[in-house]
Amino acid sequence: MESRPLVVVGAGVSGTAAAIEAAKAGVQVTLIDENPIPASMAALNVPQCFGQRFNAELQDRTLMLQRVVAANEALAAAEEAGVNVQLGTCVWGAFRNTETSRTLDGPQLGLANNERSWMIKYERLIVAAGARDLGVAFAGWNLAGAMGANGAHALMHRYQALTSRRIVVVGADNLGLNTARMALDSGIEVAAVVDVSDSLRGDEALSAPLQDRGVKLYTSHTVREAIGRDGEIETVVLAEIDDSCEPVPGTDKVIAADTVCLAIGLVPNVELPSLLGCDLGFAPELGGYVPVHDDCMRTSVKDVLVAGDAAGFHDGMVLDSEIARNQGRLAGVAAAESLGAIDTAETTARKRDLPATAIDSGPNDAYANWTRWLRALLSAGGSDVAVCPCEEVTRADLIGLRPPRFLKWKSERRDGRSLGTLAPDAPVNPDQVKRLTRAGMGHCQGRLCREQVALLLAEASGSDIADMPLMSYRPPVRPLPLRVLWSHEESEQVRREWAKWFSPTSPVLE
Amino acid sequence: MDSADVVVIGAGVSGLSSAYFLARAGRDVVVVDKGIVGGEASGRNGGMVSERVDEPQLIPMAVEATELWATLDEELGHPTEFVQEGRLQIAVTEKDMGDLLAERDVAMRHGIDVALVEPSEIRDMIPGITERTLGGLFFPNGGHANTQLTVQAYAWALQDLGGRLYQNTAVTGLRIVDDKVASVETTAGDIAADVVVGAAGPQTGLMAELAGVHVPVAPARVEILATAPVASRFPIALVGNGLYGHQAVRGNLIFGGGAHEWTDVDLTASPGKPNTPLIRNIARRLAEFLPGAADAPVIRSWAGVVEQAPDYRPIIDILDFPSNYVVVTASAHGFGISPATGKAVSDLVLYGETDIDISGLGLNRFADHGPDWREKRGWTPAPLRY
Repeated sequence: MESRPLVVVGAGVSGTAAAIEAAKAGVQVTLIDENPIPASMAALNVPQCFGQRFNAELQDRTLMLQRVVAANEALAAAEEAGVNVQLGTCVWGAFRNTETSRTLDGPQLGLANNERSWMIKYERLIVAAGARDLGVAFAGWNLAGAMGANGAHALMHRYQALTSRRIVVVGADNLGLNTARMALDSGIEVAAVVDVSDSLRGDEALSAPLQDRGVKLYTSHTVREAIGRDGEIETVVLAEIDDSCEPVPGTDKVIAADTVCLAIGLVPNVELPSLLGCDLGFAPELGGYVPVHDDCMRTSVKDVLVAGDAAGFHDGMVLDSEIARNQGRLAGVAAAESLGAIDTAETTARKRDLPATAIDSGPNDAYANWTRWLRALLSAGGSDVAVCPCEEVTRADLIGLRPPRFLKWKSERRDGRSLGTLAPDAPVNPDQVKRLTRAGMGHCQGRLCREQVALLLAEASGSDIADMPLMSYRPPVRPLPLRVLWSHEESEQVRREWAKWFSPTSPVLE
Repeated sequence: MDSADVVVIGAGVSGLSSAYFLARAGRDVVVVDKGIVGGEASGRNGGMVSERVDEPQLIPMAVEATELWATLDEELGHPTEFVQEGRLQIAVTEKDMGDLLAERDVAMRHGIDVALVEPSEIRDMIPGITERTLGGLFFPNGGHANTQLTVQAYAWALQDLGGRLYQNTAVTGLRIVDDKVASVETTAGDIAADVVVGAAGPQTGLMAELAGVHVPVAPARVEILATAPVASRFPIALVGNGLYGHQAVRGNLIFGGGAHEWTDVDLTASPGKPNTPLIRNIARRLAEFLPGAADAPVIRSWAGVVEQAPDYRPIIDILDFPSNYVVVTASAHGFGISPATGKAVSDLVLYGETDIDISGLGLNRFADHGPDWREKRGWTPAPLRY
């Protein structure tokens, strides 16, 4: 198995900065990025919510590879610095020995391209895996054309494969305003930008030019529904809301659009730190559960560091990419020092050019905003909206702990059970609710619904969102076909000694 | 002090089933668990239900269980997603075929419905199956269920009968007075009990130690994976190519197999349950076995910690000392036989004897197993190295 001193996951701003910094310090670095992703994965809304709004060019891997490289100047800089860059390669698993799993030959990652999977060992790991789109349900969000801000960014900027023509942006933080700006710059009409707040939340430097360019900004509004034909969004209905997030009668606005872009928030990608057992703490201002880290970006697990959006995302980072870059550089320096590539004096010198505010957290409580959105969408859209589009679990199904509809189960005793009767037994556990209702069990691996399930459960049970445990992450954290995940290098010994079930001689996994 | 007729330690499938049948018989029952309902192996196994021809001593219990399963949803009032369309064991090697023929003989000796099936029939029964099968053994009474729905169904049915469920409540001690357990000490206070049922899964041995009794069980971690729903359907539970599993009603393929790993557990904490790269080997075997599903994305995997007695069989016994303590441990057969386990334990508690033949499941069969039995068998965890 290949072994590398330092593996950096994610070639965004922070990941490339980390890789370059460590390579300059003399470390042999492998930088892995999943872009370009297979079109089949994009169709499953993995890793972002792409809303089926991409053209066939996404299937042309050579073309996509060219565009990914062209869209990211730092990749060339990394290669120049001697970094081994592996594009089109996803990290689907991270493994290390623990009390109950002791047979691994050191910490390792599971990698895959669209053909096959393999393992790679690391001495140090920097997770700079970015953030993903926050999903919040509205009626019609299971139609083609409902996408997320990061999905839209990727299709506009990285792949140039977005097929949207007229878009409604949901969320007027920097994230939403920047999405609207990018859409206009890409020649896409922006029909509206909507926010539940009574004023624009994002920076005026972003909102003023939008207004100058004639974009309608709706504050104190929510989405009531998206209406479509043949599975495609055609119109979006907005409703004005009052102070208690209730829709005001007679204020509905019907807007023609083929795309609704959810830009309410981003969620740090913490799958790999979670799989490795890094301590995660709930930080509502940073998008939820994030790896606990020190000021050198080191997590609680020796050898694992984090940087960029994966360490916590706040809206200020949309405007200031220096934050993520500095975090990456700090992590790169710390990894280089711990590998013995540079001494303490050199480390101090390298850190000196980094601003003290490098890892400042954001000012506002993202979860308070998300909760407000949830209330507004719930009051405007009702309980019959699918929270989990993959498994078609509605808000009412979730709160009623209803068994999957395909079972067609009906009984009085069953109807007596709901979240309300479960909550007194034990603190609400999203994993338990998932297993009973199937919310979060679909092919997108819970990406679209995790946060809103937790928010809904907290709202409905009167619990604090901070007390809601993180729904567990399990490998593979990408939906890999059996023929890709399968072990091509399976040894003859594993094959020969494969245990069907418990048997006296059981092989140790290599 | 809180009290109950029966305190059941462990809200797994064996404990909850026992509690359910005792509550149905009118007993005041409390179930305590360090975690949530079915949080360990009971909620994370392959969901297989069979007549256990592979373990002939279990056949009476397993046959009783398959009969109870047939009406369990109605009995409990909550769905378990049980599907009884049979179990097919498939041979892909000559050795497998020999094993199948031997199992067929055992089944016929015990009067269990069984049929040998040809590769062509297998292809009709299981869409997408490999062309390289040599034959199969079909048990029409076998089936599968949804493990999480099942444990919750037992738990709710118990509560519907007035039984109490204390989750996130760890047992820390057993107070012995004379020759009985007088009360169970928990993190939520003591509970006085006439009878205590220890159905503590991997913690079975540690729990019995609190009463000074040696019950030889060794915990082990095993792994399983699930794909996204696959369009072509087969309702039959499958065993073959080193794997066991089924297609869920929703369409997901759920298959496990391969090396287990011996481990240790803590009395009051939930053991870590990581997956390992073994899931790649499981994926390979599954794709070889069901090439028609090779494009199905794997969307989840999980692991569970089960316990094994030295002879891979359950222990269901009421002890001589303390004389009101029942040991229930299933050696990783617990899910499928759970309705019969509950009935047997209920009978043991109520009448001191059972309708179902559990004569081979007594603790005394391990009288010669001292505290060092795991070392002697080599059933100990590998040395820890990070």
